Amino acid sequence: MTAITGSTALWYASRATGVVSLLLLTLVVLLGILVNRQGRLPGLPSFAVTGLHRSLSLMAVLFVAVHVVTAVIDPFVSIGLAAVVIPFVSAYQPFWLGLGAVALDLVAVLILTSLARAYLSRRLWRGIHWLAYAAWPVALAHSIGSSHDLRSGGLLLMAIGSALAVAAAGLWRLAGTAREVPRAERAAYVLAGTQRQARRARAGHGGAR
Amino acid sequence: MTHHATLPRPGHGQWAAGDAPPPAARQGDDGRGPLPRLMPARPVPVDLDEHLGRFGAPPYRGAPRRLIGDVETAGLTGRGGAAFPTYRKLAAMAAGRGPAPVVIGNGAEGEPASSKDKSLLWFSPHLVLDGLQLAAEAVGSVTVALYIHRNPRLHARLAAAIAERATAGLDAAAVELIEAPHRFLAGEESALAGKASGGPALPRFKPPRASQRGVAGRRTLVQNVETLAHLALIARYGPGWFRSAGTPDEPGSMLATLHQADGRMGVVETALGTPIADLLRLPAPAVLVGGYHGTWLPGAQAERLPLANAALRPLGAAVGAGVLAALPGDRCGLAETARVVRYLALESAGQCGPCFNGLPRMAGALGELAGPRPRPQAYADLQRWSGLVAGRGACHHPDGTVRLVRSALQVFAAEIDHHAHGYCTGTTGRPFLPLPAEPPLDDADWK
Repeated sequence: MTAITGSTALWYASRATGVVSLLLLTLVVLLGILVNRQGRLPGLPSFAVTGLHRSLSLMAVLFVAVHVVTAVIDPFVSIGLAAVVIPFVSAYQPFWLGLGAVALDLVAVLILTSLARAYLSRRLWRGIHWLAYAAWPVALAHSIGSSHDLRSGGLLLMAIGSALAVAAAGLWRLAGTAREVPRAERAAYVLAGTQRQARRARAGHGGAR
Repeated sequence: MTHHATLPRPGHGQWAAGDAPPPAARQGDDGRGPLPRLMPARPVPVDLDEHLGRFGAPPYRGAPRRLIGDVETAGLTGRGGAAFPTYRKLAAMAAGRGPAPVVIGNGAEGEPASSKDKSLLWFSPHLVLDGLQLAAEAVGSVTVALYIHRNPRLHARLAAAIAERATAGLDAAAVELIEAPHRFLAGEESALAGKASGGPALPRFKPPRASQRGVAGRRTLVQNVETLAHLALIARYGPGWFRSAGTPDEPGSMLATLHQADGRMGVVETALGTPIADLLRLPAPAVLVGGYHGTWLPGAQAERLPLANAALRPLGAAVGAGVLAALPGDRCGLAETARVVRYLALESAGQCGPCFNGLPRMAGALGELAGPRPRPQAYADLQRWSGLVAGRGACHHPDGTVRLVRSALQVFAAEIDHHAHGYCTGTTGRPFLPLPAEPPLDDADWK
């Protein structure tokens, strides 16, 4: 294994923060799906799930920023400032780094629209937030394609695990949406359930008559 | 009962032929200007000729804003229920930047116990249409619509009135008639804006309010049709005349829908501040003030109160859209409230979790309290759900429902105790408060 020297420190930092970014983004996507389904985490109120989703996404932004900056200023490979945001113009690995630029742009849009959410209509914000489902696979493809780190060992397992988790959560969300009671029937559905429950409770209670 | 059937016809309501005049008929004779102002003296719809003979053409001011000062001095407030100062809405709309605003007269009273807007549109359509034009001029708008519940007879009458006015060249802006679905919440401001923009009549999250971004994204002024009719008279006779009825704080007259304990129903025009005892035949065990988003008051208390927010607000009640109902002595207030809350729960748009989860559970618990020997748990559940849903919807449907439930728990506390012992003061199960037939559970029903 190569030793970390002054000249390789940036390269290592970039790779490490890249891995952490992917992990954080995975958690953000999973929590986002949980928020959408109004799910809970054990021991946490539902607003804390939303809070965690937001905090981790801001943390991911920090790691992505360090990942990108260190990659650009690292003298090992020449990437160029423009290639950070414009896809497929990098001199080094134009395709795989291009995917990184696409993911970065998408994440930037998601973060900025969420920070400005108070000024946007709910619909617009929701519509844009769907981009998260595009951003994450692109980021994963960028990770696997542009680095050998994820192609073996523990990090490979992490990548596979992340992909499985996101896929499972996505399916869970789809299944939940399919099970959802149509809007116009919701109140009647809850009322019927409430009355059923009360009848059962009264029967158990030995209630009147 | 359908909404269609609640449309008052000549010979019904206040003007029922052969009936003794209701006590409210005396209201105009106190030397402060005759009432009714909005409604015709005889129960015959006012056609354009009669309207022009009595009031003349709408007194346009020739430029925006000029009417707003008079509306402010008059102290006119919204008659749709919120009692918000009308001049403030007009002034904000006239001062706003961007494309000219849209002005919509809201005649979609979803409240099954209220008939005053339908009556006004039926008997005095031209006052409302005058007010619509004058309000549009005041805020510099040329896009004008009238929003009513689907009702073929009323629609035909209003369409004819609008066409007649267009031929006579009375209207500065063409008026579009928009029909709302028969849903309780269809008249809510954001639901109205949604429907007028071509979507379903569903309440939306605010902001943006309709005044900021309403119909097709344009700033939209929504005024209740009765407010517009008052505005049309203020434009003619001035603020001093308007203030000659009512109280200094709450000037003018208002339309009220009265449900007497003997089952008779009628729309009357009365001055604000009129004693409730002059409107309803009392005593009654309890009086419902403000409709199904309103408040029950003990009959003995209501008997001493005027129909004015200054007196009602400290008790948690409000004039609202002017619905007053005297509970008959042979009915159970809990059973009546349970029926209404069940209806309100089923009228949830199903958009906000606290509303579509909370209101049906409250309805279930209240239904149990209204029956014999409820579990003690039902009362506790009702209290808990009330606290959980209030203030947590896109619109005020949960809040209004909780207000009704809480007042029922207070006013009918003794009845709750009776039910716990298997006894009920109601001797007849016949329903008293009017409710429409159950709506189909269909998304198309909101369009």
